Amino acid sequence: MEAVHHETSLLLAIILLPMVGSVLVGLFARHSSERTVSILSVGAVGVSFVLALIAFIRLYGLAVGDTSPVLVQQVYEWFELTVPGKGPVPINVRFAMDTLSGVMALVVTGVGGLIHLYAIGYMHEDRSYARFFSYLNLFTASMLILILASNLPLMFVGWEGVGLCSYLLIGFWYENRDYAAAGRKAFVANRIGDFGVLIAMFLIVGVAGSFEFSDINHLAAESAHFTATAAGAGFGAAFPAHPFGLSATFATVACLFLFLGCTGKSAQIPLFVWLPDAMAGPTPVSALIHAATMVTAGVYLCCRLSPLFLLSDVAMAVIAVVATVTALLAASIALVQKEMKKILAYSTVSQLGFMFAGVGVGFFSAGFFHVVTHAFFKACLFLGAGSVMHAVGAHGDADLTKVGGLRKYMPITRWTFLFACLSISGVPLTAGFFSKDELLLGAATMALHGGKTGSPAGWFTYVGLVLAATMTAFYMFRLYFLAFTGDYQSAKGAHDGGSGAGHDDHGYDPHPHESPGSMTFPLIVLGIGSLIVGYLGLPEIVPFVHTHFPIPNWWNEWLGRSVAHLPGHGAHGEVTDFLPSDMANAGGLLAMLVGIGLAWVMYRNKPLKEPEAPGGFYRLLRDKWRVDELYDATVIGPTKALSLFGGRADQTFVDGILARFTQAAVGLTGWVSSRAQTGSMPLYGMVMTVGVLGLLTWFVTPHARLTIEPSGGQTARLVAAAGPGYEYRWDFDNDGRPDTGWSRAPEQTHTYAPSAYEGYELLAIYPAMPVRGERRFKVGDTWTELPFDARFPGWRTRAGALPPTARQTARGIELRPNGADLRFAGPVEDGAATLPPRRIVTLGGVNLIALPKVRSTVEVRNAFGSVSNDTVEVTLPGPIQRRAALDPAEVQR
Amino acid sequence: MNPHLLTGLLVLPLFGMILLLCLPRTWERALKIVGVGTMLLEFALSLQLLAGDYSTAAYQFVERYPWIITSTVRIHYHLGVDGISLWLVLLTTFISPIALYASWSTITTRIKEYAFAFLLLELAMLGVFFSLDLFLFYVFWELMLVPMYLIIGVWGHQDRVYAALKFFLYTTVGGLLMLIAILVLVGSYAKASGGPYTFELAKLTTLVLPASTQYWLFAAFALAFAIKVPMVPFHTWLPDAHVQAPTGGSVVLASVLLKLGIYGFLRFAMPLFPIASQFFGPTLAMLGVVGILYGACVAWVQRDLKKLVAYSSVAHMGFILLGMFAMEPHAVEGAILQMLNHGVSTGALFILVGVIYQRRHTRLFDDLGGLMKPMPIYCLVFVVVTMSSIGLPGTNGFVGEFMILSGAWLSRGPVGLGHWWLPMTLFATAGVIFAAIYMLHCVLRMFWGPVTHEENAKLPDLHLSEKIVLAPLIVLIFWIGFFPMTFLKPMQPSVANFLDTFDARYRQALLMNVDEPQILAALPSEPTDPASALAYADDAAPATHLTATRRAIAPTREAPKVTETGPEADAIEEQAR
Repeated sequence: MEAVHHETSLLLAIILLPMVGSVLVGLFARHSSERTVSILSVGAVGVSFVLALIAFIRLYGLAVGDTSPVLVQQVYEWFELTVPGKGPVPINVRFAMDTLSGVMALVVTGVGGLIHLYAIGYMHEDRSYARFFSYLNLFTASMLILILASNLPLMFVGWEGVGLCSYLLIGFWYENRDYAAAGRKAFVANRIGDFGVLIAMFLIVGVAGSFEFSDINHLAAESAHFTATAAGAGFGAAFPAHPFGLSATFATVACLFLFLGCTGKSAQIPLFVWLPDAMAGPTPVSALIHAATMVTAGVYLCCRLSPLFLLSDVAMAVIAVVATVTALLAASIALVQKEMKKILAYSTVSQLGFMFAGVGVGFFSAGFFHVVTHAFFKACLFLGAGSVMHAVGAHGDADLTKVGGLRKYMPITRWTFLFACLSISGVPLTAGFFSKDELLLGAATMALHGGKTGSPAGWFTYVGLVLAATMTAFYMFRLYFLAFTGDYQSAKGAHDGGSGAGHDDHGYDPHPHESPGSMTFPLIVLGIGSLIVGYLGLPEIVPFVHTHFPIPNWWNEWLGRSVAHLPGHGAHGEVTDFLPSDMANAGGLLAMLVGIGLAWVMYRNKPLKEPEAPGGFYRLLRDKWRVDELYDATVIGPTKALSLFGGRADQTFVDGILARFTQAAVGLTGWVSSRAQTGSMPLYGMVMTVGVLGLLTWFVTPHARLTIEPSGGQTARLVAAAGPGYEYRWDFDNDGRPDTGWSRAPEQTHTYAPSAYEGYELLAIYPAMPVRGERRFKVGDTWTELPFDARFPGWRTRAGALPPTARQTARGIELRPNGADLRFAGPVEDGAATLPPRRIVTLGGVNLIALPKVRSTVEVRNAFGSVSNDTVEVTLPGPIQRRAALDPAEVQR
Repeated sequence: MNPHLLTGLLVLPLFGMILLLCLPRTWERALKIVGVGTMLLEFALSLQLLAGDYSTAAYQFVERYPWIITSTVRIHYHLGVDGISLWLVLLTTFISPIALYASWSTITTRIKEYAFAFLLLELAMLGVFFSLDLFLFYVFWELMLVPMYLIIGVWGHQDRVYAALKFFLYTTVGGLLMLIAILVLVGSYAKASGGPYTFELAKLTTLVLPASTQYWLFAAFALAFAIKVPMVPFHTWLPDAHVQAPTGGSVVLASVLLKLGIYGFLRFAMPLFPIASQFFGPTLAMLGVVGILYGACVAWVQRDLKKLVAYSSVAHMGFILLGMFAMEPHAVEGAILQMLNHGVSTGALFILVGVIYQRRHTRLFDDLGGLMKPMPIYCLVFVVVTMSSIGLPGTNGFVGEFMILSGAWLSRGPVGLGHWWLPMTLFATAGVIFAAIYMLHCVLRMFWGPVTHEENAKLPDLHLSEKIVLAPLIVLIFWIGFFPMTFLKPMQPSVANFLDTFDARYRQALLMNVDEPQILAALPSEPTDPASALAYADDAAPATHLTATRRAIAPTREAPKVTETGPEADAIEEQAR
C-alpha cells in the first residue's frame, strides 16, 4: 500500500481538548458544582469525538484505490539523538492518523465519551467528583497521544501517561490502602513492560536510524520483500538478509522486547496479575481503562508495527502460544469466582489473549477487530455490573451470592447485559461472533498452512482458543443467570438495610432500583453496539455454504490499508480453501453451545452454592492458580530481602570500611603514639641516642647513585650523586676493572665500544598501521614469542602468519620468523637470522631494530674511606644505519 | 554583551555579604530580604548569560587577568562560560534563592550568619563553574566546603556535628589528593615546556602524559569528583549530610553541589587525562550502574523520608555517570540535562520534605500516612515531582534518562563503554523499574490509606509562600519535559567539541605512547604520512637518535618556550611585572 500523507491541523486539537479539560477541572474547578465539572469534562471529550469523526470522514474520502491515506500534523521538534553512522535522528511531536489509528481514535473518544456520561450518574455525590473527571480526561488525552503519535517515543508518552492515569484511578479511593497498593502494583507491572519497550526502541533506532513508524515499517516491508525475492530466486535461507535492512534475528529480539511491553500494558502472562486487582477502581474506570481502551494498547502497538512482527516467525509463534495460554488460564479462573467485576476482569485478560492470538497467527486486522467489538461488549458488561452495584448499594464489587433475580428490578440493565453476554459468547450474528470467528479462522489457517506442513503452534492456538471460548460462554452465562435470574438473595435477609455498603458480611439494599438515565443511555448504546458492530467485518465466505458474501469484508479492506498481513490473507483474496473457515465456524459454534448449555443447566434460576470443602483443583482455580503467591515467593520476596540486606550493609559494611575503619585506624595510631609519651627520661634518652647514632651512621656511609643519560650515538653521560667529600672511580664496561682513578668529578662522558655490549633490546616501529607507535621488548636467552600488543594488530594481518620468536645471542638478536615473509638483512642460518645491532630490518611491515645495552659501575669513597658502588644498565639508542636493501629472492637464496 | 558579567556575578554576592555584615542581627526581616534579594538580583543578572553566542564551542564572557605572576609561576584570574557550564550556572543562581527562601520557615537562629554562608556558598559554586585556571578552580572548590560545613554543623538536626565532620573529611581527602595531582601536572608541564609553572587549563590540556602518570593523576582527580558525585562506594556521607542538613542546605547540596563532581569530570579530569579516563571510564560507568540499582534498593527499605530521597540521588547520579562515560553526543547532553533535572526535581523533593518536617517534626513513614486527605495540594505537587523523578514522559526526567540510556546503548566506538555497553544499558534501564518501586512506595506510605495519627488529620495544606517556592520548579519540570530543545540547543556545540577533542587527544596520546611528558601545540587533523616515521633513518642523519621518531610522528610541535595566548595577554603580564 502506498502511504499518502495529507497535512491537517485537527489532530492536535483532538488531543488538546481533553487535556485542557483535565487541567481546568483538576486545578480550577475543584470546588465548582458537579454540573460545571460534568459539562467541562464530558464536553471536552464530546467535542474531541466530533473532531475525530470529522478527521475520520476526511480519511474515508481520501481512501481511494490502492492507497493508504495518512493525516499528519507536525507540531515541533521535541529533542534529537545522534546515531553513529546515521547522523542526527530528530524526535518530533508529530501526529498521524491512518485507517488503523482513525478507528481506534473513534473508539476511544466514542466509547470513552459514553463512559464519561455514565460516570456523571455513577460518581454522583462522590467527595472527589472533580478529581475523578480530571483524571478521566487526562486519561483520554494520553490514550489519544498513544494512538495518534507518529513515532515510538511520542507513543511512549501516551503509553506511560495512560499507566499513570490507571495508577491514579485505581487508587482513586485512596483511604483504602489495598486499593492504593493495587494501583502501585499496576504501575510497577507496567513499568516492567516499559523496560521492554525502551530496549526495543534503542534496538530499533540503532538499526533503522529512525523512530517513525512509517520508516520502520517501510524498512521492515522492504527487508521482507528482499528476503522473499531472494528465496524465490533460489537462494533460500542461506542468502544474506537485506544489506541495509532488518534481519529476522533482529526482528525476533526487538519484537519480543516489544511484546514484553505488551504483556505489561495488556495483561498477558507473565505480567497479567495487576489487572484483576485494578478492579478496585471505580467501575467506569474498569470499563474505560481496564477493558475497552488502555489494555488494548498492546494489540494496537503490534498492529502498528505489523511489518516488523511479520519478519519474525519465532516472535509470532511465541506471541500466539503465550496469548493462548493466557486466554485459557484467565478463563479457567473466571469459572469459579463469585464477584461480578472479578469475573469480568479475568474475562478481560482472557479476551486480550484472544486478541494477541490473532496477532500471533498473523491476522492483525482480526485481532484489532476483536479489540473494537470487545470495547463495546466489555464496556457494556462493566457498566452493567456498575449499574447493578449502584442499584444494590454494593461498594467495590458485587457478590453473586447476595444478588439474583435482578431482571425484575432493572430491565434495561438486564437486556443490555444479556446482549453483551450473547456477543462475548459468540452467538451467531452478534459482534463477538464475527470477530471471534476471524480469530479462529486465523488460528486454523496457521494450523493448516503455517510453515511447510502446518504448524504445531497453530494447532495449539486453535484448540486452546476453542476451549477458552467454551469457558467464556460458560462463565458469562453463569454470571448472567446468577445475577439476573432466580430470586433476589438480599431481599429476604434484610439484615440492616443498605447502609452496610461495602461490608461483605451484610446483605445489600433490599430494594434495588434501575439506574438513572445518564447511566442507562450508555448501556443502551453499547448494548446495541455489541449486537451490530460486527457487521463491519462480515467474513469472506458464508459459513458452511462456501459461497462469497455479496459485499466484501469492509474491515479487512479498510485496515489492510495500514496494517500488514500474511501473504494469502489479503483484503481482496479469492478464497479457495474452505477447510479453515469450516474449522473456525464449527469450533466457535460448538464452544458457544456447550458453554451456554452447561451454564443453563447448572445455574439458571438457582442461587450460587459454594462447595463446603472445595477440592484441590477447584480451590486452585479459586485462588487464581496462586500466581501472586508464586511471584511473592520467587521475585518480590528475594528482592525485598536483598534490599533490606543492602540497606543494612550500607550503614555497616560500606560506611564501616570507609569511614569507621579509617576512623579506627586514625584512633589506633593516636593511641600507639600517645603510649610512647611515657614521661620516662631514661627511655627518652635512649631513643634520642639511638636516633643520633642512626643519623651518624647514615652520614658516614657513602651513597652511590648513578644515572646514565644516552647523549646520542654510542656516547652517554654518566652522573653520580654528589655528597660531602666524595671521590669517584668509574668502571664503564663493567668488567670489574676500574677504568679511571679516584677523582672528585661526579660526571663522566663515555663512548662505548661494541665489546662493552651486555645484551640487546628489541625495538619495533610500526610505520603503516592505523595507529602507529613503537614498542620495546625484553628478549631472553630462549626462544620467546614476541608479545605484540593487541592494540597494534598489524603484525598478524600484515605477515599473515604467526608472530616471530626471538632470542638473544652475543652477536645480536636472533629471529626465527614463524613462516612470515622473510625480508631480511643478513644470511639465514638454520631457519634463524641474526639481527645486527642498530640496523633496521622489516618483518611483516614492522621495522625491527636491535639496540645494544651496556652496564656501568661507579664506586664512591667518602672522607672516612668507606666505599660503596652502584651499577646501572641502559639501552643505547643510535645511530641507526640505513636499511639493508635486500629483496626476498635474495633472502631465500 | 557585558564583558565583565562573570566578575559581576562573583562580586554581587560579596556586596550582599558586606551589606549583611553592616546590618544589626536583630533586624531579622531586613537580613532575610537582603539575602534573598541579593540572590534574586544575581539570578536576574545571570540571565544575561543567555545573550552569549552558544552556536560555537568557544568560551563566552571570557575574562583573563594576571593574578600571581612571578618568574616561575603564572596564575591567572581566568573565567569563562560555555554550553556545558551555562545551565549549571543558571541552575545555581535559580536554586539558591529558592533554597534560602525555603529555609526561613525553619531557621530562626543566627539568621545573619546563615544568609552570609549561603551567599558565600553561591559565590564559591559559581567560581567553580567559571574557573578556567586550575589554581583558581581549586581555591573555589575548597572554599565551597566551608559554608556547607557550617550550614550542616550549625543549623542542622540532632547529629549535625557528626554529619558535618563526615562531609568535611570525605570531601577534603578527595580535594587534597586532587591538589597533589594538580601540582604534579603543573610540574610536568613546566618540565616539558621548560617554562614557568602555569595553571591554565587550556595549556595543560596540550600536555601529553605517559599512560602510567595519567592513571595516577586521573585517579586522584576522579576520587575527588567521585566523592562529590557521590559514586558508590563513596556515597555514605550523603545520607548523613542530607538527613542532618537544614532544608535549604539539602536543596543546595542535592541540586548543585553534587553536580560539581560531574562537572569536574567533564571540564578537568577527562580532557586532561584522555587515556586514563578511557581506561577507567567504563569502570566508573559500571559503578554508576551499580549506584542506580543499589541506590534504588537501599532507598526502598528506608524508613526515613529524607534518607529515601538522599539514596534516590545516588541512583540518579548513577544515570549521569553512565551518560557521561558513554561518550556519545546525546548521552553527554542527556547527562548535562539530567543534572538540571535532578537539581530541579530533587531540590523540589527536599523542599517538600522540609514542608512536612516543619509541620510534624518527623520524617519517619511510620508517623505519616493518609496525608492526601488533609493536604491535597501538597500531595498533588509531591506526585508531580515523583513522576519527574521516576522519569515519566512529559516530565523532565524522561528526556534526560532516554538520552542517556539510548546513548549508552549506542556507545560502541573507540571511546565509550567498550564491551560492556549491553549489560550496562540493560541494567541501567531496569533501574527505571526500581525507581518506580521506591518512589511509589514512598507516595503510598505518605499519602494513601487512612489517617493513622491524630496529629496528621488537621495538618494545614501548602501556604502561599510554599507555593511560590515550588511553582517555578513545577514549571521547569514540564518546560524541560515538553521543550527540552530550549536547553539542549546551547549545549550541543560545546558537547560536540568536547567529544571531538577528547577523541582526537585520545588517539594522539595512544599514538605517541610517550615515556616523558610532551606538549602538543595542535592536534593534527589527519594521521601523518606513514613513511615519515622512518624518513630520518633513510637520510642517515648522523646525530639522529630515537626520540626523533616521536617528533616525526607529531610534526607540529610547540616550541619549548611557553607562549601565552596572544600579544595583548603578554602586554598585560608585562605591566603586571
